[in-house]
Amino acid sequence: MARIAVEDFETSMARPEDFDAFWEDVLETVDRIPLNPAVVRSPLRSTPDVDVFDVHFDSIDGVRIAGWYCLPASRAGTLPSILRVPGYIGEPQLPKQEAKGGYAVFSVAPRGKLRSNGQFNPGYPGLLTHNIVDRNTYSYRGFYIDAVRAFDFLAGREEVDSERIGVTGSSQGGGLTFVVAALRDPRAGAAGAPYLCGFMDAIQLTHTYPYQEIRDYLRLYPEREPVVRETLAYFDGIHFGPRISCPMIVNLGLQDNICPPETGYAAFREIASSDKRMYAYDGHAHDAGSVAHGSVIEAFFEKHLKNHA
Amino acid sequence: MSSRCMSTTVRPDDFDAYWNRVVNSLDATPIAPEVELMPIRSTDYSTTYGVRFTSIGPYRLFGYLSIPRGKGPFPTLLYFTRLQSVVEPLPQGDASEKRRRFLVFAMAARGQRNADKPYAASFPGLFVDGIEDHEGYVMRGIVADCCRAVDYVLTRPEADRGRIVGIGQNEMPLFSAALRGGLTHLVASPSFFHRTMDRAAGTESYPLEEINEYLRQYPDRRHAVARTVSYFDPLFFAPRITAPTLLWGSRETLGAVADAMQAAPQVRASEHSRYKDGVYQERWIARHLGLRDVILPAHWR
Repeated sequence: MARIAVEDFETSMARPEDFDAFWEDVLETVDRIPLNPAVVRSPLRSTPDVDVFDVHFDSIDGVRIAGWYCLPASRAGTLPSILRVPGYIGEPQLPKQEAKGGYAVFSVAPRGKLRSNGQFNPGYPGLLTHNIVDRNTYSYRGFYIDAVRAFDFLAGREEVDSERIGVTGSSQGGGLTFVVAALRDPRAGAAGAPYLCGFMDAIQLTHTYPYQEIRDYLRLYPEREPVVRETLAYFDGIHFGPRISCPMIVNLGLQDNICPPETGYAAFREIASSDKRMYAYDGHAHDAGSVAHGSVIEAFFEKHLKNHA
Repeated sequence: MSSRCMSTTVRPDDFDAYWNRVVNSLDATPIAPEVELMPIRSTDYSTTYGVRFTSIGPYRLFGYLSIPRGKGPFPTLLYFTRLQSVVEPLPQGDASEKRRRFLVFAMAARGQRNADKPYAASFPGLFVDGIEDHEGYVMRGIVADCCRAVDYVLTRPEADRGRIVGIGQNEMPLFSAALRGGLTHLVASPSFFHRTMDRAAGTESYPLEEINEYLRQYPDRRHAVARTVSYFDPLFFAPRITAPTLLWGSRETLGAVADAMQAAPQVRASEHSRYKDGVYQERWIARHLGLRDVILPAHWR
């Protein structure tokens, strides 16, 4: 594929006409399922400053989902809150630092991650192409909803101000930030190096895992390319953008060899919110300038979650 | 001269005996490889296999083996285990086309996916599993697993014995090179085991935070934990290491380790850019293997 300026890249993925109807239908199903949360304090993981809880809740398809929930040990009233959504190959981190900063923070492990893989475990590699020919059973239908349900968990907590929930993550977490911002209504979202955006463009732009999984699949089953494209159109982060109305910041690395910056720009352009800003870091790859950008996210959430009247 | 970080870690009197027992156990354990073709992970330029093989315990491990099409032997990249559950055929971000040139072996140690039966590691959790007992500490087995991966690579006739690079984002390449011959070059990022107790006391970052959590729960085990991790300080392995090495980290934190190695390593501080660090590493490997060019992902060219 000929290289063009990354910020001008146009995706080849068309938004299905029934995209919104598809997800409204899924949400309608999900909203009928009780969360049944179990919240158990972990003395091992807790510190004098932070209470850590081991959380499980019910998601779609009857899958039980895990997560780490961190609260400042000293707290009063309702708290601003952050949902942390994980990357593709790493396990969810315990967000103690943010809790020390005064937030209620939930770090979710969607299906297939450790602690949420008892009923669903397509493996890595494997998750990205599991049932990729069927949008109604594709792995990311449930995976996305698990992230949405994690938002619901936070919104339902009595110690959380449900009007002041932010969502953030990088790589797959960046893609999930788009999804949660589109399917629920967080106060603000910060997405880094967004994965799951422009799938079919990405497999042309880069030959690295995890997008390589789709290349692997299509090498073996080239005749399935049309139906794969059709399925992925319903899960493309770019297509969630028009549903996003909250303030959003996006950071990416202009030399990102895993999630091509072209697709990050394409996703950013589609965000409907007028309050959005792109931070593009030259000389950076999938780290997306995270060392410098950490303070940007901190200030962004400070503004929208703590100082919001 | 730059200042050095002080260490309270003491070399155990039985350090050599401890690791000799591991090596002897490995020598007494057949590798017993099973190699299965994986068409979906193969490409037009390489063939990928899933490999099962045995480490001490005995424990059955897993690895992805990718062999270039054509006539070998090929320069070889051995990717050691990381502190995470997932192992991919090629590390995330590496250009797939590297498999056109290199034999690649990506191993899963005990507890990681595809090697998680009967032992499924948790993250966090793995780092302190059995840490109160230096004989039972899970990392003792994982170091053995890494050595066993070297053993397996050396069974492959397609591997160029003069060009086998051990790569890891931790100390495993150093441990493996010290305990097992065969690796000709090393790329390592000593992150967890050098001055473990000193560094854990000053951080809340995982996995070292696991030690803090553990000691809050079991304060009476501090001495036992310190004794266990002392067997894993790369400082004590360094005198056995002769291979050319790229050591990621600062001179301040790794100076003692670097100085103790037989061949002075290249010590390189991260620029906190996967692009800049990645290009540097690829060029270092290419230069040391006598390759005329590097195979980089598209966005790094």
